[in-house]
Amino acid sequence: MGWLANLVSTGTLSQVLVGLSRTTILFIVSSGLTLILGVLRIPNVAHGSLYMLGAFSAYTVISLLGGGLSGFLAALVIAPMIVAAFGFVLERGFFSYLYDREHLMLLLLTFSFALIIGDLVKIVWGSEYRSVTVPEFFQGSAEIFGLPIPYYNLFLLLIGPFIAVFLWLVINRTKMGKIARAAAVDAEMVSAVGINVGWVFAFTFVLGCFLAGLGGALIAPMVNISLGMDHSLIMEAFLIVIMGGLGNIWGALLGSLIFGLTQSLGILIWPQFGIVFPYLAVVVVLFFRPKGLLSSTW
Amino acid sequence: MKTTGAFLAGVVMVFCMAASGVAGDTIKVGLVDTYTGPATTFTNDVLDGFKLAVEKINAKGGVLGRKIEYVTRDDKFKPDIGLTMAKELILKENVDILMGTINSATALAVSDLCKKEKIPFLVTFSKSDKITGEKGHRYVFSMNENTEMVGRATATVLARKPYVKYWIAGDDYEYGHAIANGVFEHLKSMNPKVQLLGQSWWKVGETDFTPYITQILAAKPDFVIVATGGAGMVNFQKAAQSTGFHKRVPFYQHTAIELSTLMPQGPNAPEGVYGTANYLFYYPDTKENKAFADEFRKAYNRYPKSGALYGYLAAEFIAKSFEKAGKIDREKFIDAMEGMTLDSPVGKLEMRACDHQVLLPVFFGVTKKSPQYEFLVAGDIVSVPAKEYMPSCEEIVKARAR
Repeated sequence: MGWLANLVSTGTLSQVLVGLSRTTILFIVSSGLTLILGVLRIPNVAHGSLYMLGAFSAYTVISLLGGGLSGFLAALVIAPMIVAAFGFVLERGFFSYLYDREHLMLLLLTFSFALIIGDLVKIVWGSEYRSVTVPEFFQGSAEIFGLPIPYYNLFLLLIGPFIAVFLWLVINRTKMGKIARAAAVDAEMVSAVGINVGWVFAFTFVLGCFLAGLGGALIAPMVNISLGMDHSLIMEAFLIVIMGGLGNIWGALLGSLIFGLTQSLGILIWPQFGIVFPYLAVVVVLFFRPKGLLSSTW
Repeated sequence: MKTTGAFLAGVVMVFCMAASGVAGDTIKVGLVDTYTGPATTFTNDVLDGFKLAVEKINAKGGVLGRKIEYVTRDDKFKPDIGLTMAKELILKENVDILMGTINSATALAVSDLCKKEKIPFLVTFSKSDKITGEKGHRYVFSMNENTEMVGRATATVLARKPYVKYWIAGDDYEYGHAIANGVFEHLKSMNPKVQLLGQSWWKVGETDFTPYITQILAAKPDFVIVATGGAGMVNFQKAAQSTGFHKRVPFYQHTAIELSTLMPQGPNAPEGVYGTANYLFYYPDTKENKAFADEFRKAYNRYPKSGALYGYLAAEFIAKSFEKAGKIDREKFIDAMEGMTLDSPVGKLEMRACDHQVLLPVFFGVTKKSPQYEFLVAGDIVSVPAKEYMPSCEEIVKARAR
């Protein structure tokens, strides 16, 4: 019964909060992935690489503007914009020519971009590790029952709902969002009523890339910015998207919550095998709901 | 017809001469290592340290009147590619010596090939203790420390400390378990009072250590042994910094005090983290180390990391061993290298004859701010000499007999 005692200990609350802050990053990245998957039907394997590009861009912006709070906040805007601009070039230059091809071709193309972006990052930033410091404003940690919660994690807890509301507004309250939702269901019909679907696709792809870049910029102060940081994330993001239902943003939110919380609480229950819990959750979810928790747009 | 025949014969002759010329006039070293992806942070230093030493040797006229020449191959961190590249270097490039690699699985595969082909193989950076331990043989040499050596050296220092309740944690793969268990088991045998409170294992490439740290803090251990590798070193230290982990519980990481871990974090790395390293460009504060660090910095515009020492050692051992052997003969080369000592930036080093493992000191220190540099350095350094921690030759013989 040791594990039960662990679960109802004083550490539980801090563990939940830490898990929720992880959820924020996972949600921001996987919502972009699921958006592109739902509307454009592209399983974008390069999404993790765009997240890495966002982290490296944030590093450069912060080094240019100095490590203060203003430099960091500027990076949170500029770095995702850089990634979005890069995404725009990718979509208009390559993907837009391939939408009528089969998915396998698109999958291969995104895979090749994952490799190309990896090498581009190596050429531009080199293979040395990069790191940005948490801005002074967010340094240190609060205490909950004697256990530390870094202020930066609390900041992430605030950002998460903000992004969710922003996405809800974009998708449900803007014309572009509504058209994108319609295109996700039936792209041919949308173009038949005289809407340029190409630009809807471009908008969605760029928004998805922006979210990947934002995820990268937000994680930058917490981690070692290095080649290879894309690998583990892209796998988690895909699992979340599959668990939530392909193309469903709220599914991505639900999946991220499950993934983030099972991980942090799993560590509390059984630290030796903590890594198993999120994957176990995926198995359980897919066993009972093979198509994901919420309805898929596919 | 006649002229064509003569021309062809001429072409063939030129080719033969070229081929024999390459094989005869130089000593050819083949490097198989990971030159793309995350591991390049470490492997570039091996290559540059090697290049620096080779350029100096060649400038002085080479070895036995021959210049050292080298070719590189990228194994992309994959054992099968590494093995193919090693074969190609042996069969097509006719290399005299092979060197590399950072991936232990690749190193073991190439080592096996070199045993069959009777080609000396100088391992740089692979940390598996099997390389010169149970899988060791006549043709393989190691230029760096391995997990077993780290475990023993660290345990000798920790055994003198008053901590009782230990927690071990690390990357969930061979390296992580080998380091963490290695340190703890040797510690337990040296100081039977210590006890294992619990353990945490996370996946390789984990980015967010905060949930692991809060859980460990809740368990209240006296000391934590953390075994992360590669990018995880910095990730863990950043999480420690933001949670104040190191101020609540002291912890140890192999390579925590190395430049590759501390330099990227600048002045904001956590202070008071215990760590070990084979090479620090500012310690020992000797003429030889300073000269090496200055030369490396002049050539590549950065400070040398531990890989630079391994690359430098490989070049020096190759040159000195051929010189001692007196001719370019692989078997004589090996005989010459066994038991050889040479001067290095970290002092006199011996290539132990019984297991072909270079006997390096291990530096144990704690991170602290430095007035001189823009990043943290190691303080209170204890140099653990090889004779205090190396497994004995009898133990090696026993391991190989298994």
